[in-house]
Amino acid sequence: MTMHDTKPYEPVFTPERRAGLEELLKRYPTKRAALLPALWMVQEARGWISDTAMTEVAEVLGLTPAYVKGVVTFYTMYHLHPVGKNFVQVCTTTPCNICGAENVVKALLQHTGCGELGATSPDGKWTVIEVECLGACGFATPIMVNDDFIESVTPEKVLEIVRKYS
Amino acid sequence: MPVSVPKGTTILEAAKQAGVLIPHYCYHPGLPIAGVCRMCLVEVEKQPKLQISCATTVAEGQVVNVFSDQAKKARQGVLEFLLINHPLDCPICDQAGECELQDYVFQEGQARTRYADYAKRFNPVEDFGPDILYVPNRCILCTRCVRFMEHAAHDDVLNVSERGDRAVIGIHPDKKLDHTWAGNVVDLCPVGSLLSKDFLHRARAWELDKTASVCPGCSQGCNVNLDTRNNVVVRLRPRANLEVNRYFMCDYGRGQYRWMNHGDRIEAPLLGGKDLTAVDWDHALDRAVQLVKGISGPAVTLVSPGASNEALYLARQVLGNARLQAAFRVHREAGEWSLAGVPDLALRAERAPNVAGALALGYREEFEAAIQTAADAGLLLVLDDALDGVAPEALQTPNIIYLGTRLPEIARRARVVLPIANVAEEDGTFVNRDRRVQRYFQAKAAPGMARPAWWVLGEILRGLGRGDTLSSAEEAFDLLAQSEPAFGGLSYAGLGVRGAVLGSRQPAGQPA
Repeated sequence: MTMHDTKPYEPVFTPERRAGLEELLKRYPTKRAALLPALWMVQEARGWISDTAMTEVAEVLGLTPAYVKGVVTFYTMYHLHPVGKNFVQVCTTTPCNICGAENVVKALLQHTGCGELGATSPDGKWTVIEVECLGACGFATPIMVNDDFIESVTPEKVLEIVRKYS
Repeated sequence: MPVSVPKGTTILEAAKQAGVLIPHYCYHPGLPIAGVCRMCLVEVEKQPKLQISCATTVAEGQVVNVFSDQAKKARQGVLEFLLINHPLDCPICDQAGECELQDYVFQEGQARTRYADYAKRFNPVEDFGPDILYVPNRCILCTRCVRFMEHAAHDDVLNVSERGDRAVIGIHPDKKLDHTWAGNVVDLCPVGSLLSKDFLHRARAWELDKTASVCPGCSQGCNVNLDTRNNVVVRLRPRANLEVNRYFMCDYGRGQYRWMNHGDRIEAPLLGGKDLTAVDWDHALDRAVQLVKGISGPAVTLVSPGASNEALYLARQVLGNARLQAAFRVHREAGEWSLAGVPDLALRAERAPNVAGALALGYREEFEAAIQTAADAGLLLVLDDALDGVAPEALQTPNIIYLGTRLPEIARRARVVLPIANVAEEDGTFVNRDRRVQRYFQAKAAPGMARPAWWVLGEILRGLGRGDTLSSAEEAFDLLAQSEPAFGGLSYAGLGVRGAVLGSRQPAGQPA
């Protein structure tokens, strides 16, 4: 079912990442406390967090897979399924919606080829989701492409943005 | 109502002592306190907000109002939240009748829903383990199961997945809920969310009669309830005893009810000869008495460590005047399966409930030697040992009196076969591995003419002129306690439902 069924699982925590994690652990009183950043490392490396990766994190931090899974599923920003190379979050909370966020969403879905919210485009490059307030109500509509924050997006500007990241 | 309790007691426990059960879901005395269900809110004087009584400790002079309008309204609100997504499937739910959600909604919930227009959350039933189903729709997220697996079983395979109204109990996809003690999560679940596959749709809770008993599975002696329906044992569940099993029992013990219902029982006294002939008790007992009277040479008693103390004691008395070898054997498994978070609780290697009782009453674990002796003995009295593995040639000589529940082929050579009741069909006592004497009670009728072994042996003794008819296990036990030093100072009534330790002289001071 997952991409790992066909080829053997390659651990996320290579010696280099392991060293990075050790550095990180110094900032926390317990290993358990470093679970969230450790999961971020997995998501940065793989784009999403698979069950196997959860087990690996559990082993690395001395936790149980069940506990790790509970944490991963609690937070909506950890991906439980693979997402596109470019992960787009569009603010559709009330002020942005009044200013036409829905049309931004439509344009994004059209130009990226995703078709629907949460789905990944056939070329594997794009996933678009709606999020609640991105904290830029004065600059509607804000979107996030991966870690880039883009303000005052209109349906007309969407094509340009999509070209830039493609 | 004033209550005096030790420092550090929670309001909920203190209220229990005052006879008030504060509604609660996540709290369980055998698990760490979580404080997540908000069901046990009460009003505490001089505190601006309601307090959760499961996690608030009592203070000197504190005034708690469980049934104030504010507290009742808060709990009603909690119940309303729980019912938003809870299906109305009580008619097909195994928990109905023993469901804490039903109980508390009936007590203090609202009569009507305000959410009829909204679709309920739906998740499919999940297979958690060999005997456990999870019905997420009924779940109220009390997390008792998660905490049991983490803190008691030390095998934390369960978690709370997702959040908010999507939250469900999750299990890691590579793991199963297959711990030896996993069945306890079904008992702990206050609603019908975790179900036993074995008991699924087997009976409605209100059809069951509950009888206090002791698990016959191993030498731990967990206190259990036998749930019976129409004279059939359908389920074993743990009965709280802080000294023995706290609130738990293992899955092996839960399976013990099956053999209690087997139909292949001896249903009438039988006399040996060319063929076995069914006779009435008078004839059979008369023959048994004649055999005992006519003993020449040594005698052997082979007993089962699953027999009651009363029967074991009387079996020795019957052959008391002869040169006697009294022996038993016990099946041992290779290891113990402990419940890691609870001290001194395990599925023990010794798979019989009364090994300590047999030893205390002078039986030795020397079965093979006893069989050799029996080959030349005058009389062999067998008490519910199936004699499996014994070569028929080995028992050519002796006269055999066989008391048993079932009739193995080799026992057909007995001169007298006397049908006895099994543990579910009689009253009696066992001694567990920690030397605690514990009573078990009759839960169902014995088949046919079968009688408790203590009655049968008592009648033989009467025939020998050494006693009167015993009319109860209590009489048999008190006889035993008078003559056996190890049992000195104990009385049947004093054992209560929680037992007393051998040699303690005093029955345990717990109320029955």
